[in-house]
Amino acid sequence: MVSAMEIYQLLPREACKECGYTSCMALAVALLNREKKLEDCPSLLNPKYLEKFKKLKELLAPLEKASETGLIIHPEKCFGCGNCVVACPVNVAAEPTRCAVGLGPQGDRVILAVEDGVVKCMNIKECKRFGPNRVLCNACTVTCPSQAIEFV
Amino acid sequence: MEAEVTIVAFQDIFQNEARKKGIYTDEYRQLSAQIILDKQDITRLGVKDGQRISVKNEVGGVVVAAKISDDDPHPGLAFMINSPWFNQLVRDDVCDTSIPGFKRIAARVSPSEENVTQISEILQRMRA
Amino acid sequence: MVVCTGCSLLCEDIELVLKDGTISQAKNLCRKGHAHFQALFIERTRPMIDGREVSLDQAISKAAEILKSAKSPLFYGWSNSTLEAQAAGIDLARRLGATIDDTSSFCQGILMELVLTGKVPTCTLDDVRNFADTSVFWGADPSNSHPRHLSRFAYYPRGEKRQKSYEEERICIAVDVRKSATARLCSNYYFRVPPGQDAEFIESILAVLDGKIPRFGDKKRMIELGTVLRKTEYGVIFPGLGMVYSLQEKMDLLVRLVAKLNEITTFMVLPMVDHYNMRGFNQLLLDETGFINRVSFQGGTTVHGPEQSVMAAAKSCDAALVIGSDPLSALPFGTARALAKTSLIAIDPRRSLTTDAAKVVIPSAMYGLEAGGTSLRLDGVKIEFEPFFKSELLSDEQILAKIKEAI
Repeated sequence: MVSAMEIYQLLPREACKECGYTSCMALAVALLNREKKLEDCPSLLNPKYLEKFKKLKELLAPLEKASETGLIIHPEKCFGCGNCVVACPVNVAAEPTRCAVGLGPQGDRVILAVEDGVVKCMNIKECKRFGPNRVLCNACTVTCPSQAIEFV
Repeated sequence: MEAEVTIVAFQDIFQNEARKKGIYTDEYRQLSAQIILDKQDITRLGVKDGQRISVKNEVGGVVVAAKISDDDPHPGLAFMINSPWFNQLVRDDVCDTSIPGFKRIAARVSPSEENVTQISEILQRMRA
Repeated sequence: MVVCTGCSLLCEDIELVLKDGTISQAKNLCRKGHAHFQALFIERTRPMIDGREVSLDQAISKAAEILKSAKSPLFYGWSNSTLEAQAAGIDLARRLGATIDDTSSFCQGILMELVLTGKVPTCTLDDVRNFADTSVFWGADPSNSHPRHLSRFAYYPRGEKRQKSYEEERICIAVDVRKSATARLCSNYYFRVPPGQDAEFIESILAVLDGKIPRFGDKKRMIELGTVLRKTEYGVIFPGLGMVYSLQEKMDLLVRLVAKLNEITTFMVLPMVDHYNMRGFNQLLLDETGFINRVSFQGGTTVHGPEQSVMAAAKSCDAALVIGSDPLSALPFGTARALAKTSLIAIDPRRSLTTDAAKVVIPSAMYGLEAGGTSLRLDGVKIEFEPFFKSELLSDEQILAKIKEAI
């Protein structure tokens, strides 16, 4: 997955502050978190940066697939083992008699569930990484045997 | 160039899935007919990822694709997924416990120009 | 709720939606289980004799004819059949004086015997979920072979005494020759053991537990492992094929290790059986004959030993009945070739190398999907299942009954 540093190195680094941030590094972080778009950097639209702009577009493309919490699922890598389903604190709270004890969920209040052999994501707003009080929970990624889930 | 390796078999969920789709599918062959080699052995053999490798011992031989290991270094040790291709190399004369040595197969590996062994060839060998 | 017969965990929380004769949605099936259920629609067998399609009755009478005239028939497979079918198979083998063996013969049998005869203590998977704080995967990679093992039992669920589960109260240890998917999840507790050196590894643990200096492996890490094992309240060792093939005739070392651990704390053993009812066959045959596999009923006596194993019997038999198994894919080339050359009868729902080489092919219903019955989960818990898919196909026990009738 792309890092803020990689994004930073492709930005104009003119310290114009026109995007509203004090440095290009801050903008790089904002781009990574999808709080800003490439078009928010006026300097970057200058034709002399066209190559860099294209490169950045390419680098940031996978982020567009990510959910609002930055969660990306790669179904082709997923084992369908349900480790994330059982480890996710929101799932555990939603289904204390099922997900909490290792079973698949029955209700529709969970975030993660295994369907057709691979994990699916729903109710993303319930994820602990969502919203202003977010915490950087990583229960679903550290329990994955195949790097099928990641956060951008 | 030739190298001596010890081959250990293992299970893989994707190959298992491919098997359920059919043993004659390309997917099953691609996932089964491969040998995972250490980077050092790959370099020594002068082959690239995906290149064909002949694997031979006193029991039999197959041509499979080379795959570079992403594990910690293990020169001299190679891995193959449990499959009819791997079983071409397994002895069936066994010790007291009558368990074949699936986990420790000595074999010689070398680059090959031949096609990857087809499962239909394996069936023919059994019936020959 | 449907039971998945894709592996020996026999998961019971599967929900299926059927539409236009296909499974349009499957909830809670892992990748392996999903492939198992989709296989219902792919590469199904048809009744055949010598590669020509025949009626089911013709195939069954041909099978009966071959078995009736055989002097030393071999019955092999069984780990993908229900207890009911296995009992019918053992009965038929006895009547015909056949040799009977199952897939445990070349994999977990040696361990299963220790468990079923009480040589090592064992427990259920529910005990693992409720009480276990240390799980040791030894030459086993459940993430690939039993995908839901860690989420349903060993590592991630909350249990009676393990409310804080993997975050604080559970540890998983992997002992393996390679950094498997499971080993990656064990991070700090992955111990690499070179092929064939599990015996030395066990001796090192025994030394550490006795307060001696280990002779094998990294001393510091071995001492660390010893400390974890000592601190365990309820431990479970899950041995896989890696351990079986490495230890072989030195399996008593495992018995010694488990006995030693039980002097200190509680430690159980649960072999990582692959097929969904291998344990069922081993238990049934043990109850009937005193042996878990490799039995010959020739001449009305019960004989057990290496000569009765599938590897030996494949070469000495004059006919073989293979049921729910594909030995031509799974067994060493020499054994596979011997089976391919004998009068081979294959009872299987799906096409395999074995059905392709067989003289007679009898199609069967897929258990758990098209036929019901009972099975023993890898921990011996009896699980009952009903078919969810209507089918005209006969189950294994119905086919065996028809063969018996025809003989």
